[in-house]
Amino acid sequence: MGAVLLTGMVCVWQLQEKVDAERRTLKLDNDELAMRSPAVMKRLSLEYAPLMGAIYWTRAVQYFGGKHREHDPDLGQLWPLLDIATTLDPNLIVAYHFGATFLSDSPPRGAGEPEHAASLLERGIKANPEHWRFYQDLGNVYYFDKKDYLKASQAFEAGGKLPGTPPFMKIMAAKIAAEGESLETSFALWMELYQSTRDNDVRKNAEEHLRMVKMQMDLRALDRIADDYEKRTKERAACINELADAGLLSGQPLDPAGFPYVLGQTGRAEPNPRSPLRQEWLKGKK
Amino acid sequence: MRNVQTVAANTFREAVRDRVLYNLVFFALLMIGVAILVGQISIGIERDVIVSLGLTAISVIGIFISIFLGVALVSKEMDKRTLYALLAKPVKRWEFLLGKFVGLVMTLTVNTAAMSAGLYIALWTVNHGLQKGDAYILAAVYLILLKLALIVALALLFSCFTTPFLAILFTAGVYVAGLFAGDLRTVHGVELDPGALQLVRGISYLLPNFENFNVMGAAVHGHGIPGTIVWQATLYAILYIAIVLTGAAIVFSRRNLK
Repeated sequence: MGAVLLTGMVCVWQLQEKVDAERRTLKLDNDELAMRSPAVMKRLSLEYAPLMGAIYWTRAVQYFGGKHREHDPDLGQLWPLLDIATTLDPNLIVAYHFGATFLSDSPPRGAGEPEHAASLLERGIKANPEHWRFYQDLGNVYYFDKKDYLKASQAFEAGGKLPGTPPFMKIMAAKIAAEGESLETSFALWMELYQSTRDNDVRKNAEEHLRMVKMQMDLRALDRIADDYEKRTKERAACINELADAGLLSGQPLDPAGFPYVLGQTGRAEPNPRSPLRQEWLKGKK
Repeated sequence: MRNVQTVAANTFREAVRDRVLYNLVFFALLMIGVAILVGQISIGIERDVIVSLGLTAISVIGIFISIFLGVALVSKEMDKRTLYALLAKPVKRWEFLLGKFVGLVMTLTVNTAAMSAGLYIALWTVNHGLQKGDAYILAAVYLILLKLALIVALALLFSCFTTPFLAILFTAGVYVAGLFAGDLRTVHGVELDPGALQLVRGISYLLPNFENFNVMGAAVHGHGIPGTIVWQATLYAILYIAIVLTGAAIVFSRRNLK
């Protein structure tokens, strides 16, 4: 009898695996969210909204991670999940902080939805007005993703007025108001995030951005040297070595990934075709 | 009061004998599972999940015990006919009811205290220590206990005049309705004539407002819980329980038990 039951269970297991394989071929995106209304979810959660909020936040993390693993750029349900999680628990600080990063970053890193990221953070500020980090996050979203430097500066300035905020906030507010977008400002913003975060994923993300900004600063400096060379010789340099031979460079400069920079066909500095940073740079150029 | 004490002590003993406290094993397994899993499947909410799940489990398990055992307090004694033998002794009906109420609340207190200890152990294990904000969990647990006492009183009341099945439905219904009592006062977007609106407002005050005992959100995030909220909720619970138990005693004293 035991053997029969065991065999039966093995058959069920095998069958389930077949069903799972078949269902994977279907695009069942709507499975993530049976209920889209945060207000209804809050009512249905009775007095257990904080737990439901944590569950929805975990679902958002799993959804985001799963899409990344499958290299699926469609993150259409990320915002509704975060919307519900933060409505259920308006004090769920991590959901605003990381959720805004997931939403605002451009694909393939994030959903490319800075509008929703800003809405999420504005809601976070309303529910947790003492949490100055949200102003920093909001400033970053306006600066990097929405390119709205006035609002970015205003966000840093508003955060800088809160007690216990580091001087960095006021400095960034003034710097952005004066310069708008600049590589130095971008570098400073990412460096602050890199140094202040305790989360490995955020640090890794900031590190990647820092490498890109550092490379862009290097390319800008190399272009200036190449322009200087052209002024002197009336000819555009064909390769980096010519700049070094003319005494304008002390050696072969390397990008943050360790690959030597090259001069492209137009004589402008570019990342090495073998460098892993080149793809990202090309995307940024488009 | 001696009669009340005797009935209460026996109710507590009976609950322990009926293995009611076995739910603690389930709670312990739940907390261990969560403590191991949560860090691996989410970001930055280890403490939040342990506290919110712990408080939810304390509340939900407590509600089940309060409703099902609360309804059975009287009906079981009647079914087994032990009530008749008891009431033949110099025990007044209201003393019997009050004793039953106190006995079950004692059971719930022991159960809740043990689960709270488990919750703190889980927190200690995951966070390698306790923080100042963890103290507010005790306030949340205390308010849950008040809520459970109120549910027991309601279950007792309903079981005094109807069948166990209907008493369970009524108690659960009043509990859910009581969670929305505050919303009834601020109803928007519904066209009601002034009379109906007054009626709805009146009902909202008659229903036990279970939101008064909900500070789970603050406790989860380690936010302070003002003492005023705690003592007002205590006063509300004492007052409401007194009213419900008086009602239950009146109904039970008029009930024909022959």
